[in-house]
Amino acid sequence: MKFIAVREALILIALACLPAIGEGIYFRDKISWQSPIPASELVAVDQAKAWGDGAIWVDARPDDEFAQDHVPGAFSLNEDHWNELLPQFLPNWSPDKKVVIYCSAASCNAARDVAKRLRDEAQLRDVFVLQGGWEEWVKKSK
Amino acid sequence: MKTSILTLTLSIFLCVAARAELKWEQNVIDLHPALGDKTAVAHFKYQNTGTTPVHFKSVKASCGCTTTQSQKEVVNPGEKGEVVATFNIGDRTGQQMKTVTVQTDDPNPSQATTVLTLKATIAQAMEVKPAFVYWQSGEEPKPKKISVKAAKDFPAKNITVKSNSPNFESKVEPGRTSGEWTIEVMPKDTSHPMGTALVVQSDYPKDAPKSFSVNVQITNPPGAPPLIRAGVPETSPGLRPPAAKAVTPAALPSPSPATH
Repeated sequence: MKFIAVREALILIALACLPAIGEGIYFRDKISWQSPIPASELVAVDQAKAWGDGAIWVDARPDDEFAQDHVPGAFSLNEDHWNELLPQFLPNWSPDKKVVIYCSAASCNAARDVAKRLRDEAQLRDVFVLQGGWEEWVKKSK
Repeated sequence: MKTSILTLTLSIFLCVAARAELKWEQNVIDLHPALGDKTAVAHFKYQNTGTTPVHFKSVKASCGCTTTQSQKEVVNPGEKGEVVATFNIGDRTGQQMKTVTVQTDDPNPSQATTVLTLKATIAQAMEVKPAFVYWQSGEEPKPKKISVKAAKDFPAKNITVKSNSPNFESKVEPGRTSGEWTIEVMPKDTSHPMGTALVVQSDYPKDAPKSFSVNVQITNPPGAPPLIRAGVPETSPGLRPPAAKAVTPAALPSPSPATH
């Protein structure tokens, strides 16, 4: 009796797994298995802070969030006003500086997108996205 | 034992029969806004194909650049409606993907949360690459090249380049094919940090020709102290740092154009 119950339970589990496997195969290209940002392009808060004057901080969040609060000395550079903000940021950049970009959970992938544009369009090197973003910086700075 | 399993299976089927189901016409919408459009709007249409009402619990966009609007809070069986997602383009270019997460009170967890995706391809009238060229302080003032390429639906015939700084000279040369140019920029002097924005002016559209900017810079020498130090509280927190004033581009009363 006990054996039959276990066998039937296993059959039910197997049947339940079938559609899941099918969906996994059908949508295999749409499943994000990895972080969209390579590890080499990410930097932890402690590491970025340790860079000190060797880093230039960029806030990729919308203007209103930047106005509320931001990393001291950070420059606002978001895609809402990219053409206006980029010329304000560039005079403070120099080739020996690392660029640390952050956004918040609410501004989704803004830091990644800004980093991509700085690399592709402005052809800057040493551009990093802050791991955990603004929230992590606040947590670590308490 | 067999009876209990049968009862369980039957009860599951009965639960499913009295279901609330919001069926979406499309979960992914591709948008191709025209040049100059400020927003891209996606209409995600739905219908309640179930037998019980569906209540919206939340409709949230993945980022601040997208706003959402749902017409109603409750969708009765058979009723149709739509969730409107408005993506503010700003100065974004290329492929953009934003999501809207809709949560309902559907007892089936797989139906309760739906992720709607808005894909927008933002056309760029002219591709200017790189959009920034620099020389380090003291570096030999060799010319640097910038390529300009007009989009297919942006039929500019000529471009002119204006510089507000007498320290930067530029000239425009046509490319191999129509709608392509090369801008050559060269500083006269690289001894001091300075910068300016070159204005690339197209001749299209005739009534309001579009212009683009390229940033050119003589950068601070390596190891120079930062103008605003990260980690040090600002005198006026919450305000944008006065970055543009930090290195003052040499200004001329009248721009010196380089035309082709």
